[in-house]
Amino acid sequence: MTETPAALNDLHFMKALLDLLIPPSGSGDLPGAGALGLSAAVVTALQGDPLLGPPVEAAVQALRETALSQHPEGLPGMAPQAAARVVEAQLDPMLIMGILLYLYPAYYQHPRVLEGIGEPPRPPFPEGFDVEATDAELLEKLRARRRA
Amino acid sequence: MSNEPVGVLVIGAGASGAAFAWRIADTGTSVLCLDQGPWMKQQDYPSNGLDWEARGMREFSGSPNVRRLPADYPVNEQDSDISPLMFNAVGGSTILWAAHFPRLTPGDFRVKTEDGVGADWPIDYQTLEPYFALNDRMMGVSGLAGDPAYPYHEPPLPPLPLGRVGNTLASGFEKLGWHWWPSDSAVLSQEYEGRAACINVGSCLSGCPQGAKASTDITYWPAAQRKGVQVRTGCRVREITVRADGMADGVLYYDPGGQLQEQKAEIVVLACNGVGTPRLLLNSRSRQHPDGLANSSGLVGKNLMLHPYAVVMGIFEEPLRGRRGPTGCLFWSHEFYRTDRSRGFARGYSFEAIRGVGPAQTALWGMLHGLVPWGEDHHRAFARLYDHAGTLLCITEDLPDETNTVTLDPELTDAHKIPAPKVTYRLGENSRKMLAHAVERAKEALTAAGAVETVAEPLMREAGWHLMGTARMGRDPRTSVVNEWGRAHDVKNLFIVDGSVFVTAGAVNPTSTIQAFALYVADSIKKNINTLFD
Repeated sequence: MTETPAALNDLHFMKALLDLLIPPSGSGDLPGAGALGLSAAVVTALQGDPLLGPPVEAAVQALRETALSQHPEGLPGMAPQAAARVVEAQLDPMLIMGILLYLYPAYYQHPRVLEGIGEPPRPPFPEGFDVEATDAELLEKLRARRRA
Repeated sequence: MSNEPVGVLVIGAGASGAAFAWRIADTGTSVLCLDQGPWMKQQDYPSNGLDWEARGMREFSGSPNVRRLPADYPVNEQDSDISPLMFNAVGGSTILWAAHFPRLTPGDFRVKTEDGVGADWPIDYQTLEPYFALNDRMMGVSGLAGDPAYPYHEPPLPPLPLGRVGNTLASGFEKLGWHWWPSDSAVLSQEYEGRAACINVGSCLSGCPQGAKASTDITYWPAAQRKGVQVRTGCRVREITVRADGMADGVLYYDPGGQLQEQKAEIVVLACNGVGTPRLLLNSRSRQHPDGLANSSGLVGKNLMLHPYAVVMGIFEEPLRGRRGPTGCLFWSHEFYRTDRSRGFARGYSFEAIRGVGPAQTALWGMLHGLVPWGEDHHRAFARLYDHAGTLLCITEDLPDETNTVTLDPELTDAHKIPAPKVTYRLGENSRKMLAHAVERAKEALTAAGAVETVAEPLMREAGWHLMGTARMGRDPRTSVVNEWGRAHDVKNLFIVDGSVFVTAGAVNPTSTIQAFALYVADSIKKNINTLFD
């Protein structure tokens, strides 16, 4: 069994990191990704990815150490803008994308988020959805052009 | 497991294998189909759960290299500009397809004659016309009769609703005076043959739990089984075996327990797609066929065509509700389908207007194109994109090129140690010019429809659904692998019914034509039964 690096096990740190990547919306309709408790899902997915997992884990570990060197509480204790600057300076954009690759699907399947973006908080099936009919005027134009 | 000899052995239970098996079963001969995949269960499809998008990107990905399921074999795609996509199960790639169902046009069968490029097919549209119609009825096709881009035909079901996104995009084509027409779609607009109508789940690309989207596991296969056709799943064919005279006499395959089995047959039919079929032929070397089976022309695995795609998204101020409804089935446009030399390239392309994607895919697509950042601005950028996008796919006709190939990888193998395919595919200059032209015209159409911004991906890498050309048909054994009704020139009891036989690609999705051809081959075998092996 692979030993999990400390940073990924640090729920406090991971919550702060995910809340930086997807913060709560200004209106309060959408929660932050950290507050939704998505760390476990993201970490599990990353650890199952042989290409992205190892470099992201190493980079996140280094990020936590850098943050701790700048603030006694590390990332969770920093003001959002200062924390964002540390993340930008420390994490390669490709590695951030590696985290987002798993964070976005986890975030946008959460019922609270679905409600916040105006979608019903349920699976697409079995209820499905309604779709507007074809514009009758457009259909008339097509019918006038059709081949006999 | 009984391996009693059978009359007809079909390898592959996807789009073409299913159609062929159903049609040939009328002869009363014993028909057996082997497939390396399983039967799918509709309750297992991702859209039964909230995590439908995440699962759609993993175990229901179109790429076997991403899925890595037991039914899959790896494909070396390092030297390809486009990733080959497929699904291995009863139903094959129709499990995950969009079910956009255009036919090749009459002109697509005579490319050399019309434009001096590529080659002509040995058959024409009229030959396949009754089989297109039969196939439409078997699959359950919705559409609007009378598209001036085609000879008149009547889809059995009325067209699907365009919805707000389709109405909006179509208005752009109307303003420009460009051809557009609601897609023929293998999705049910109303109940049909015991199958329920589409309820706009919007997850076609990871399987349809409603059964409204046609996949051959729920269309052809139940009908074929009622005629006595057997389907054996979890069986991976290693090679086609031959008699002393070089004729095929069956296959060696691995059963679900990993044991090597031998199955004898009077006729062997390949329906493994444009990558799997040449792979199997090349893996079937023998004293009689040292370069691979049916390969005296040297063309097995050559002339691979993949349909290069560009995608152009328009962002609109008003919500378009595009997340809902059959993903790939809005309308097509053949405005730029035929050759116009003033454009600087031969042949042409079609547009396929599609609906939107779910929120997770919107966020990821936005991230990859620099439209949706992480951090403070994330929600504003996401809201601008989600449900506000309308998209045009540009499907270009790539011309056959012998340097685009499927070969056997010298090192990579599948779980049974069978050599895996290596795909070598590079975009030609003609295709590059065509894609560039298509992107500009798509932007024009989207802007005319009201888009406030357009974003283009000039070549989609994950778009190699259409696997064609690697065992082309023709009348001359020196320049083709199979004859005009799918029989191998070199092996007269070996037939190919999948997209491998395509001579040229057209600029539309090929499945309708592949299935019509498979039905035609079955009828040709019946017609020629007394002289079949002469």
